[in-house]
Amino acid sequence: MISDNAKKQIDSWIEKYPEGKQSSAVMEALKIIQKENNNQLTHDSIQAVADYLDMPGIAAAEVATFYENYNHQPVGKHIIRFCHNISCMLNGADDLISHLETKLGVKTGEVTDDGLISVKKVECLGACVGAPMFQIGDQYYENLTIDKIDKIVDGLK
Amino acid sequence: MLEIEIDGQLVNAEPGEMVIAVTDREGISVPRFCYHKKLSISASCRMCLVDVEGAPKPQPACSTPVADGMKIHTQNDKAKASQKAVMEFLLINHPLDCPICDQGGECELQDVAVDYGSDVSRFSEGKRIIAPSDIGPLIQTDMTRCIHCTRCVRFGSEIAGIMEMGGTGRGEDLKIEPFLKEGITSELSGNMIDVCPVGALTSKPFRYELRSWQMNSINSIARHDLVGSNLYAQTYKGNVKRLASGDNDAVNETWISDRDRFSYEGLTHDNRLLAPQIKVAGQWKEVEWDVALDFAVKGLKNNILNSRNVQKLGGLASATATTEELHLLQKLLREMGCENLDYRLNIKDLDNAIHLQSNIKLADLEHIDQAIVIGSNIRLEQPMINHRLRKAQLAGAGITTLNVKEFDFNYKTNDIIVAPNEIANTLAGVLRVLVEKSAEEVPAYLLAVTPCAQAIDIASSLLNSDKTVLILGEHVVNNAQAASIANLITEIAKLSNSLTLNLTVTANALGAQRVNFVPNSTGMNVNEMLAAEMRAFVLLDVYPEYDFHHLDEALNTLLNNDVFVISLNGFKNDLVAQYSDVMLPMAAMYETSGTHVNINHEMQSFSAAVGAPGESKPAWKILKVLADLLELPGFHYENSTQVLSEVAHQMTPVHEYDTAINLDKSTVEVETIWTHSPYHTDALLRHATSLRASKIGQINTASINAATAKSLSLSDSDTYLGVPVDITETMADQCVFISSNQATNTGAL
Repeated sequence: MISDNAKKQIDSWIEKYPEGKQSSAVMEALKIIQKENNNQLTHDSIQAVADYLDMPGIAAAEVATFYENYNHQPVGKHIIRFCHNISCMLNGADDLISHLETKLGVKTGEVTDDGLISVKKVECLGACVGAPMFQIGDQYYENLTIDKIDKIVDGLK
Repeated sequence: MLEIEIDGQLVNAEPGEMVIAVTDREGISVPRFCYHKKLSISASCRMCLVDVEGAPKPQPACSTPVADGMKIHTQNDKAKASQKAVMEFLLINHPLDCPICDQGGECELQDVAVDYGSDVSRFSEGKRIIAPSDIGPLIQTDMTRCIHCTRCVRFGSEIAGIMEMGGTGRGEDLKIEPFLKEGITSELSGNMIDVCPVGALTSKPFRYELRSWQMNSINSIARHDLVGSNLYAQTYKGNVKRLASGDNDAVNETWISDRDRFSYEGLTHDNRLLAPQIKVAGQWKEVEWDVALDFAVKGLKNNILNSRNVQKLGGLASATATTEELHLLQKLLREMGCENLDYRLNIKDLDNAIHLQSNIKLADLEHIDQAIVIGSNIRLEQPMINHRLRKAQLAGAGITTLNVKEFDFNYKTNDIIVAPNEIANTLAGVLRVLVEKSAEEVPAYLLAVTPCAQAIDIASSLLNSDKTVLILGEHVVNNAQAASIANLITEIAKLSNSLTLNLTVTANALGAQRVNFVPNSTGMNVNEMLAAEMRAFVLLDVYPEYDFHHLDEALNTLLNNDVFVISLNGFKNDLVAQYSDVMLPMAAMYETSGTHVNINHEMQSFSAAVGAPGESKPAWKILKVLADLLELPGFHYENSTQVLSEVAHQMTPVHEYDTAINLDKSTVEVETIWTHSPYHTDALLRHATSLRASKIGQINTASINAATAKSLSLSDSDTYLGVPVDITETMADQCVFISSNQATNTGAL
């Protein structure tokens, strides 16, 4: 379930914590496994991480379901993580999300037919100064408008 | 000692205590949901907010440590207002389904809502709903009712030792659920029902049966293991409807095993023996009690008493019988001059029987520094004793196990896997190291022993620890060197200043020992009886295919037409019907008063929670009347308490036994250890349908390693002695470990 490459990466995180506290590496380990498996965590992969870190499966699942950056459903190559928290909401995020949904022909949480893009509503990403905003990969896109969104989305390959 | 003031009342408190512990002790009521005295503090429900003078905000009583001079108000406006506000939040998503909720009437949320809730909800939005999920045959979930107190989560990780429930999602999407698809599998899982303050986790077998206020609650004792857990039998119209845990810190604290909690289902099984029956010309006939007892007495007279061959009479009993029943049966036999009696039906060779005392208190087990567990899957076999060991391990004790197979313990153990015929040798190695360290002379039997590395480790762990205990388990009962193993343990205990715990006997076997239910030197033990030419037997709750080690011999003897067999049983059994001449229906657990003797030799008495069903009677009464009809003296009992006081006035018998240690190895090529799986150890458990359906109830495997499997030409799809083979590598060579929920098949052993 866990590739040698992933094991190597997880081990380097385990080393950062005191001996016997290997379960502290659970967040990074889940991230590494998610990356290797089409950006998605499954029941089995969460269990595999838990087993590798010698912790109960449910404890790893608690972490995996708490944070937005773990995906439990199939996702596209690009995930548009749209903030809908207070600042973005007050600045019209809900309308922009509807626009995005119409444009892509998917609801939030779904993937486009070509598997390229999925949309996810997330909580505050700490960029209220540029609300409304979303995140694709490691990149923040702020002060969004319908035109700006169209341009960004059309540029995704 | 500190002095604090609660609601104007001065009370004493220990430094470090939480406010809620003090209020509980003083009888001051503070509402709570997440706090439980035996679990860690989570302070998540906020229901126990109290006003502490000087603190700007109300403080949770469960996580506020006391300080000298602290002034606390649990009832003033500020406290009340906070508690009411929290209550309103907790009720936001809680459904108003109390009329169809099994917790109704015994619900902490319902009770507290009466005191602190508002009459009308201000919440008009939709309530959240959680889809139902099946977590096994014992616990019913309805997580829409869950208030996220996390008691079940903490119970799992802290007490049961496996975190099975957890909180997934966040915020409004937080759900308490198990991760594993197989649901909840712990041997202590039923306690989650008791700790759940609402109707989210309730008893599945009890679902929609009754309201708590309709039932009587009677103190009783569970008799499936050596602990004798205290519990409440809740009854309605003559039936036990539910069992709930009782408090006794010296015995079971506040927990009971699933085995103790759900066994009552067997009481109403269709298979109960409900009327006396006699066999006339090979045909069973239901008759009145007086007819059946006359028939039994005549049978005894014709076969034994009239011909004065009382040495051809035998009495056998199951160790699940009460102390009173065992006492009366031995008295009945001995008054007739019969010394052939035994309860050790499962022992292959009684000359090789284990003699080892138990001299550590259950509560002291959690304070040991080092335990050596030999031949036991203690977690499933004695769950409440295991719970104490687990507490010791969490507090830093080292636990070393010496088993033929690696078992799944719920704490860290140092597992040593040894073949059955190596156990004695390994222990002899430990003893040799200890003898050499003590500068005593090395006895002759140890001269040829070279301690292995593990033996040296065990010896040094015993010497380097202060409080040590040696625990001998039931897998060793029929080991070819059983007696020597026990004697080695006694010697090791002497030299290492260790205490010992003998788990090779179970249920009420210590009660049987207390009333001397074994023959003296003139009588025959069970195996001798089965080999002798007998004319009559009295059998107390014996189920041959589960109880006898020598089943073939037993059936051979009992099925003989010349042998008159009187059977007292709670359940019907085909083999019993074949060999018996008269069957007398007896009360099962919770249907009779009696006494259980636990591992600490404590006599715990209980009264009958319900009457016996049909025509069946408590066995002590049956035996008393039988004795009267036989005109035996000294059976003028009016109740079982009089029987017990007679037992209490007798000395505990002391039997001489052979303390020799013989290290000659068995030459058997493949050793087989047969054990009953944990939920099949007595007749009541074998009839408890929900327990049987649980994962532990389904255990039926013959564990064997690949090399041994190959030498026996077995694969994963085969059976061995009728039990499915499970090939595992964490297993000693040249042996098979069987844990079976089927009838004993030890004929070939």
